[in-house]
Amino acid sequence: MTGARPQGGAQFGAQVGAQVSALAAARFRALVPPLLDDAYSLARWLARDGDDAEDIVQEAAVRALRALETTVVERPKPWFLAIVRNAALTWMARNRAESLAFAGGLDDLDGLSPADGGDAPADPEATLIAAEEGRRLRRALASLPPSFLEIVVMRDVNGLSYRDIAEAAGLPIGTVMSRLSRARGVLAQLMRAAP
Amino acid sequence: MSEPSPDPRELRLNAALDGELDDDSARALEQELAADPALAADYRRLEAARDAVRRHGRLGPAPRGLMDRVLALAADAVTADAPPTVVPLAPRPLAPRQRLAWREAAPIAAGFAALGFAAGLGLTALRPPDASRAVADALVADYARAAIAGRPFDVASSDRHTVKPWLAGRTTVSADIVDLAAQGFPLAGGRVAVVDRVPAPTLVYRHAEHMIAVTELPAGTAGAAAKAALTTVDGYHVARWGDADLAYVAVSDMDERGLEAFVAAWRDVRATAPVGAAPGGAPGGAKE
Repeated sequence: MTGARPQGGAQFGAQVGAQVSALAAARFRALVPPLLDDAYSLARWLARDGDDAEDIVQEAAVRALRALETTVVERPKPWFLAIVRNAALTWMARNRAESLAFAGGLDDLDGLSPADGGDAPADPEATLIAAEEGRRLRRALASLPPSFLEIVVMRDVNGLSYRDIAEAAGLPIGTVMSRLSRARGVLAQLMRAAP
Repeated sequence: MSEPSPDPRELRLNAALDGELDDDSARALEQELAADPALAADYRRLEAARDAVRRHGRLGPAPRGLMDRVLALAADAVTADAPPTVVPLAPRPLAPRQRLAWREAAPIAAGFAALGFAAGLGLTALRPPDASRAVADALVADYARAAIAGRPFDVASSDRHTVKPWLAGRTTVSADIVDLAAQGFPLAGGRVAVVDRVPAPTLVYRHAEHMIAVTELPAGTAGAAAKAALTTVDGYHVARWGDADLAYVAVSDMDERGLEAFVAAWRDVRATAPVGAAPGGAPGGAKE
């Protein structure tokens, strides 16, 4: 993680700029909080940095709040994650114009403990193996090109359907399927290869 | 990785893994998998990759501070809102009614919101690590699910004589239906929440565009005290209270003052009129 930097999305301009009705705020409170974990995971994969991911999700939340003024959302998850993805792209274009998107960040990933743990094995050896598997998986994922990575994350981390991913990414379903298929093949290979 | 020319075989295996095949195709593939070990091996290879991402791909949970700041975005609108008063509300259309000033400093707002919350209620740890926390979590998840599914209740009725028998048929405890229409919280319907694998009757009240879900539990389960306690879970406010026999948990997207007012009204009405017992109570009628 990067150290000292302004907190709270100051540099990403989290200004709402407009006013918002109580109704939009109520919709927002019902829809968005339960989606923050998913949003954060997606943003963090796309930005490769925890602080940046927070800025991105916060910006996405601002956009969502504004949109809820005029929108009734039927399926909140794909809707909000599409906003997160677009906010991430904007963010990258604005802040990472020079450096290649997705440069670095691997050490950051290695330091992460798996967020799940629901089925964490009890004995130490199995825990070690699971940790090792997690490390390898995250390295393998991180090596995917962004256009493939985002599909895998939206599918297997966020649990979106092909159709939802196609809409969120603005791609034909066929492209979603082929990218996912290719990415899984590569992941399987990398996972199988020596650590 | 260039744009691949997809291998139709793998596309199909992946679609099966993702539950995107229709029933007939899925069954056909199952038979092929049984008959073709090479295909089955490919399937397992892709399945392992998918499972690994599911297990290890989540980079979360979202930091607490992020949750606070995001909630502050909406809390801003709420804090500027007039606190709900305990008087009957005229029905009004669900339309934007008020333009609210917006503050830019979300983190600061979050701080104030947390402060106001703690001070306003004289309350307690935000995250008590006990069984009651699990109950609150379960009910908040239930509330959020219902809100998101757009089905805040399974039986929609403002008439407690409709809601009560519906709930009675589905739960083991008999639901207390407190009529708060006169206090500005009309009954909207009922649903069944599941707490610890036991169905629990839940009443849904409305206040303007907010919903309040009150779940009735056996005494002791919810960590309820005679004095109402408020906490916040994932941005929803949760109030717990109880008496000798029963415990109640209310979950709402209202702000804490609103929920506090609701609980006060609820207890008030409950104390003055034991509900469900009144044989001749006018349907939906207010007290007095």
